[in-house]
Amino acid sequence: MTIATLLRRYGTLIGFALILGFFWFNLPDTFMTARNWLNITQQLSMLMVVAAGMTIVMVMGDFDLSVGSAASLSGIVAGVLFAAGYPIWMTVGVALLGGLVGGAINGVLVSFIGILPFVATLAMLTILSGAAFVLSGGKTISGASIPADFSNFARGGIPLGDIGGVAVMLPNLTIVALVVVFAVWVLLEQTTFGRRLYAIGGNIEAAYLSGVAVRRLKLIAFALTGLSAAAAGLMYASRVASANPTQGSGLMLNAIAAVFLGMTMSEQGVPRILATVIGVLILGVLDNGLTQLSVDSYIRQVLVGAIILLAVAASSFSKRLRR
Amino acid sequence: MSFLSLENVAKAYAGVPALRRVALTIEAGEIHALMGENGAGKSTLIKILAGVVAPDTADIRIDGKPTTIGSPHEAHRLGFRFIHQEFNVVPAISVAENIFMGRRYPLRAGVLVDWRALNATAGDALEKLGITHINPRQRMARLSPGDQMLVRLSSAFLSEPDAPARLYVMDEPTAALTRDESERLFRVLRQIRADGGSVLYVSHRLDEVMALCDRATVMRDGATVDTGRMADITHDDLVALMIGRKAGDAYPAAATTPTSGTALEVRDLAAGRLRSTSFSLRRGEILGIAGLSGSGQRELVRALFGDLPMRSGTVTLDGKPYRPFSPADAWKAGVAYVPRERRSEGLMLTRPIFENITLAQLRRQSLGGSFLTPRAEQRFATTLAADVRLRSTGPRQLAGQLSGGNQQKVVFAKALSGNPKLLLLDEPTRGVDVGAKFDIYTIIRDMTQKGMAVILVSSDLPELIGMCDRIAVMRDGAIAEIVPAKGLGEDDLLNRCYGRVAA
Repeated sequence: MTIATLLRRYGTLIGFALILGFFWFNLPDTFMTARNWLNITQQLSMLMVVAAGMTIVMVMGDFDLSVGSAASLSGIVAGVLFAAGYPIWMTVGVALLGGLVGGAINGVLVSFIGILPFVATLAMLTILSGAAFVLSGGKTISGASIPADFSNFARGGIPLGDIGGVAVMLPNLTIVALVVVFAVWVLLEQTTFGRRLYAIGGNIEAAYLSGVAVRRLKLIAFALTGLSAAAAGLMYASRVASANPTQGSGLMLNAIAAVFLGMTMSEQGVPRILATVIGVLILGVLDNGLTQLSVDSYIRQVLVGAIILLAVAASSFSKRLRR
Repeated sequence: MSFLSLENVAKAYAGVPALRRVALTIEAGEIHALMGENGAGKSTLIKILAGVVAPDTADIRIDGKPTTIGSPHEAHRLGFRFIHQEFNVVPAISVAENIFMGRRYPLRAGVLVDWRALNATAGDALEKLGITHINPRQRMARLSPGDQMLVRLSSAFLSEPDAPARLYVMDEPTAALTRDESERLFRVLRQIRADGGSVLYVSHRLDEVMALCDRATVMRDGATVDTGRMADITHDDLVALMIGRKAGDAYPAAATTPTSGTALEVRDLAAGRLRSTSFSLRRGEILGIAGLSGSGQRELVRALFGDLPMRSGTVTLDGKPYRPFSPADAWKAGVAYVPRERRSEGLMLTRPIFENITLAQLRRQSLGGSFLTPRAEQRFATTLAADVRLRSTGPRQLAGQLSGGNQQKVVFAKALSGNPKLLLLDEPTRGVDVGAKFDIYTIIRDMTQKGMAVILVSSDLPELIGMCDRIAVMRDGAIAEIVPAKGLGEDDLLNRCYGRVAA
């Protein structure tokens, strides 16, 4: 195996290791601790769930720009229902169902009506975002209307005992993210459904001519992405014990970036869920480490963007060299 | 001294030679025919002239001076004008803008488009073809296909003082034209010849070529085989030159006569451009479909595969009514399909071989129809790969890493994965090397032994005669006649495709 092949295969992982080493060296006391890592997993659990859902549509070569506003809307829907006194189970159910339906609408627009995913989901982004503002009256829903049981969920977790004299626990949000990742892994890697999605991404015409029900699968895939966005919105609402019509807006670009980072790790440039997990971790670690180093948040944005560009550029450049 | 001479032109795509030893000379003031069967290399040669494809080797001389054609722009500057087979128009813009596509627009004050001059010049180009019923300001989308072709043609006759036209290359220019329109084009071409210009003319319409052209160069298997004056050559000589070798040796012998029992019964089927068509097919029989390109072969196959809605008619498969609404329905009913475009329609090049092979039978090759069983799947794919004599490093190798012939075997393995009752083949050996071709023919024969019925669409006449029991000749969107393949001559079959029965 030549150095070029190694770099192409493992370049992103090596970069990740370098980032870890850098923070470990500069933050010797706080970075490489169980507490910090559990904190990181909790911080990025929402992004993890959305990126997992995004992976499903990106396997087919599509993407969904509406996940951020779908997450915001689902938080608002939950907040409004809570304020109206509905029980938690019903509220959560309605919010998740809403995400599923919104995603299915994306699917219908893309596969049955034939609108480009960029246009369809961009329009959906605007609609869902507007709906979130209308429902909430543009205000943050918080305080007494959010039941304590709902917001306590995000603060709870499974106790893992004492590490270095400090009590640590596996946060519930991290567990949710792990469950979602596992479910998407089973779906994409272990089922005929996932295989067919990869077939569509490989060659949509050949898949169709091989009997794959392309339209139906696309619809289901978009619906699942919408569902994951709604779940992330609920997680966010639970974590901050409030709902705000813009609180999911950062998720979409980061989720797409995470999947892209993951794609640089595959020989064929195909999205894989476990690679997406690495992509999310890279983004999460960067955010965590740079914050601890007190790097200004705007400079942080510039750095994160530059690193994404670097990884994707290096990957496509090394692929071009091979020809 | 010739106006244009090409020698030693060679071009290989990924190691597969498309052109070897090609020589062509064109004189000033002649209409020169370029003849050959599909896949003989005419298109590649034209692309080299157009600067679209870079040859591996080529000695090109214009007026005796060595020349290279590095880009379409250079070809244009040399005075070459092209009318391509697939006419590409932009429907959303005006006729005049289409005529000026890729050319410099006339300007006012150096920056603003001079629309008046643009439309007037485009009008002149149309008038050269005697076209007065098309307004240059009209939107392209509002024209009929025939009129669109006329517009494309006239763009070649746009007068350009900076780069005067010297050679017109016309690839099937009359395919979408009426007789009157064709005649008008011929008058223009003859005028060009009288004025000292040259035309390289490609057409499958032999009569047209013989009446119009001064000389002909015939290509076969990527090489030029002969050049001669049209006056010295007969129709039959020309066909013989194009076909070249004898059929027979390259095909495995049919061991048994077709088994009894009707596999497929098609009654008055119409779909798309396909007009009312009837035929039946016995188990174990191979029915060939011959015809000039675009005679309805593709529509027939696509309708039988559920990709093109059946407008009317009935189809019976193994005694049961068969009316597929999607390829998925077709696979379920036991109909398999090897599409014409292997890379764009047949394969997922970036996926492993086994995923390609099992895709159509994934439901059966999984646990409860839902959960993948990769190991069993790979065993299943390996067995099928052995059946089709696939040469690969294993079922996990990527399909895109295989040679053209082995890629086609993967497509065949997929088609055979469900033991279909009916196998639809659309140009199954196009771009496949000789060795793999024989393997593919053997696979087809083996399958018919087991009672599978096969429909074989091909533009390779020896292949049809060598492989089929009967051959249906399609003309103008319908089956014109069905003839037994045994003892059929290639020239006879070609003549039938052209609609002329040999004396």
